[in-house]
Amino acid sequence: MARKISLFVPCFVDQLQPEVAVDTVKVLRRIGCEVDFPTDQTCCGQPAFNSGFWDEARPCAERFLRVFKDAEVVVCPSGSCTTMVRVFYPELLASGALHDEAVALGKRTFELSEFLVKVMGLTDVGAAFPHSVTYHASCHGLRELKLRDEPLRLLRGVKGLKLVDMLRSDECCGFGGTFATKFESISVAMGESKCDSVAVTGAEYVTAIDPSCLMHVQGILGRRKDRARTIHLASILASEAKA
Amino acid sequence: MSTNIPTPTPAGETPSALTAAQKFLRDAATKSADLVHREIIRKNMDSYDAAHMRGRARIKDWEAARRKCQEIKREAINNLDKYLLQFEQKVLERGGHVFWAANGDEACAYIKDLAVSRGVKTVVKSKSMVTEEIHLAPVLEAAGMHVWETDLGEFIVQLCNEAPYHIVTPAMHLDRNQIRDLFREKLGEDIPDADPQKLVALARRKLREAFFAAEMGISGANFLVADSGAVAISTNEGNGRLSTSLPRIHVAVTGIEKVIPRLEDLGTLWPVLATSGTGQPITTYSTLVGGPKRADEADGPEEFHVVLLDNGRSGLLANAEEREVLHCIRCGACLNICPVYRNIGGHTYNTTYPGPIGSVLTPHLRGSEFQHLSYASSLCGACTSVCPVNINLHHHLLHNRRDFTKAGGAKSAGERRQFKLWRTVMLHPRLFALGGWMMRRSLRLLYGMGLAGTALDPMRAWSRKRRPVPLPAQSFRARWKKELWKKDLRKNELGRNAGGNQ
Amino acid sequence: MAISNPSREAILARIREGLRTPAPPIEAKTFYGPIFEAVENPLERFQQECKANLMECLLTANSAGSAQALAQVLLSLPDGEVFVQDDPVLRRLIGAAGSQRQIRWSSQGGPLEKSRATVTLADALIAQTGSVFVSASCGGRGASVVAPTHIVYATEKQLVPDLVTALRNATADGRLERNSYACVISGSSRTADIEKILVQGAHGPMRLAVIVETGA
Repeated sequence: MARKISLFVPCFVDQLQPEVAVDTVKVLRRIGCEVDFPTDQTCCGQPAFNSGFWDEARPCAERFLRVFKDAEVVVCPSGSCTTMVRVFYPELLASGALHDEAVALGKRTFELSEFLVKVMGLTDVGAAFPHSVTYHASCHGLRELKLRDEPLRLLRGVKGLKLVDMLRSDECCGFGGTFATKFESISVAMGESKCDSVAVTGAEYVTAIDPSCLMHVQGILGRRKDRARTIHLASILASEAKA
Repeated sequence: MSTNIPTPTPAGETPSALTAAQKFLRDAATKSADLVHREIIRKNMDSYDAAHMRGRARIKDWEAARRKCQEIKREAINNLDKYLLQFEQKVLERGGHVFWAANGDEACAYIKDLAVSRGVKTVVKSKSMVTEEIHLAPVLEAAGMHVWETDLGEFIVQLCNEAPYHIVTPAMHLDRNQIRDLFREKLGEDIPDADPQKLVALARRKLREAFFAAEMGISGANFLVADSGAVAISTNEGNGRLSTSLPRIHVAVTGIEKVIPRLEDLGTLWPVLATSGTGQPITTYSTLVGGPKRADEADGPEEFHVVLLDNGRSGLLANAEEREVLHCIRCGACLNICPVYRNIGGHTYNTTYPGPIGSVLTPHLRGSEFQHLSYASSLCGACTSVCPVNINLHHHLLHNRRDFTKAGGAKSAGERRQFKLWRTVMLHPRLFALGGWMMRRSLRLLYGMGLAGTALDPMRAWSRKRRPVPLPAQSFRARWKKELWKKDLRKNELGRNAGGNQ
Repeated sequence: MAISNPSREAILARIREGLRTPAPPIEAKTFYGPIFEAVENPLERFQQECKANLMECLLTANSAGSAQALAQVLLSLPDGEVFVQDDPVLRRLIGAAGSQRQIRWSSQGGPLEKSRATVTLADALIAQTGSVFVSASCGGRGASVVAPTHIVYATEKQLVPDLVTALRNATADGRLERNSYACVISGSSRTADIEKILVQGAHGPMRLAVIVETGA
């Protein structure tokens, strides 16, 4: 029985890293899901929310609820955006009529690896990626959504992939949204520490479930002579063996 | 996107013109680029991490321990008046004195007047962050007394006239050679090989004279035990013991929030504090002081005073959503795990309490001048994950941000306008799509001319030190509309090889 | 000394006012098990923890053995006086140990800086953390911290399995009603303030030796 997925694409993925969403569609279709992208969606409201502008974030949240009102299941290739919906929408909409709706939507909104492993029960999605890969445990996915094993189990299910452990894999990369520009020097220093940890593994790729982390890490890797490149988990899972 | 935190004052202008936020940004930039500092802190923190994990493994159910400690502090704080009065009663019964100080000035005045009236010339102090908070030592020194910091880390930073770097390990930022040089200069004795054992022995020799000469010993308190009227002090060095045993007057200075209901609560709090603070199963000395020396005791102070400090805590208590911040047992675990702290160090915060707890607490205790600390966080949540009393620290940072924004005040009008614009765009998908396309287009043009990271680049706060953000020709929604909505993607294979996301 | 303290009422009033708003509820917690591993064999655990704490634990079978153990520790110290808690038990023990040392008794006051060691009883021993629970009645405050060596004489009967039990016992027997001070000591004094390297022997004793007499 084909699952009907409504795709939730983070605003910056839509504009700056579309391949992450394309690969998410590919993976979901490969495992037999029907994928729809409600074109009316824009942003979950996280930037305003994190900056303290809850009055500006609230209408975005309310709109998001309307856009995904009839969705059976919502899947998102980002731990932080999924967190916004599941963890923070109930708080943001605490005193409104939409509170219960927010809670209910949160229960059927999943980050990609969470959906594949916990909802679909899969760890092998038919992917092949014969390279060495190390995993960065993005903060929201790890600490708010409690996803520790799921991405790793999926990576272990990828044909040919060599998974290399990273020291301090759960140390924040330093992106943090507007933190990256408001506190540029600290953000970059944290990113450099992360890139140091990546370099020690010698892996060709560093992956994560959050495209924002990867954009930041790639920004710093791009300035160093390091070997590794970033790739989103969805893109690894979308990769297939050559015929 | 432009930032709205004011840019630091250019070099050459008087530093006193800087606001706390500007100074923070400037110091953070300097410190986070300091690779020597980064390495020292990295080594210290790795050592702490290992000890901490070993310590946690000794506790059978760590989550249960955190929950129990949370419940103890929650009960104490939510019945604060009752337990403080019970504590006071017991202390008074045993011949001690209790003074309630509304703020630092009152606390300092009481202690200074007491010391002056008793002819105190020498004071020995064991570690107390509260005494740093009220700046007690300068007040006593201005009154002609010599104040000795006896905790080794505090002793070291006192000698080099610095504030403590960390609430548990005050001299973490110095290595043994720097400490050796400091001792040579200030104490007149050299230890050529800078052996830590010998450095400690030297400090012990010097401070011994102070312990035996001092008329007054000042301590802090880790906990105030209500059912026993006891001040509980956890230390390793023995300086806290000597300061509260040898001089004839003992003054314990403490925040009002340190109270706990029962003596047996320490059976959980002591091991948890030690595990979180240093990875030990319990600190070497877990001392309980309830009063002055009794007639049948061999020795001890003749006078015992407890100074209960408010200094903004009752205000925080009234904020029900933030009240749990008062549960903090000052273990330092959140500082140790915080990646921001690890990069900028304790001094950059320029507050008594640095790190995540300091960022949450300081604006409430000292005012909106310190609100920038609530923003200087990536909200990674590591602090919350280690807090032994389950304070939801990073969520409190979010609350602080929300409250400051609501209060308006110092918040820049520019950012407010930016987010109002942002909201308009985000409520209209076509505007969003158009705006996104225009941004990508114009940035591609700009970067194509080599202007990334320059003053013309609106994203320069990103591109200055990072490779510029990717700027694809087509957004996802454009591609969806064009081809991806079709059910079968095989025909629209992207020819992807393992090229990563660039 | 009656001090005028107007802030007292003001602070209490502010606290009461603030507490009128209840704190947000926390998630109800379903059953959680014991926090600490149960202590199966207290004496064995006590010895293990003493070792980890860099303490010396000397097991003896009877008072003669204890006197001998005490004598050996005293012999290992440099010449000089020793401070001893003035208690009939310790008077006997010191006598039986046959030491030639100058003894300063706690009835004369606290220990002096020149004391080479202190000898005291304890209120309890705690297996969970390898701790000695002393109070002011164990020779005073300085007795467990001034001299470079602290020697404790205790019996196995005084050993309790864990901290919570020890603290409950202290509450039940009114220890802090009868003493102005108590301390749970779990090792020799130490510091890691320099590069986080552990150095033993900071301001308190470098050496803590516990003589535990088993048997009747």
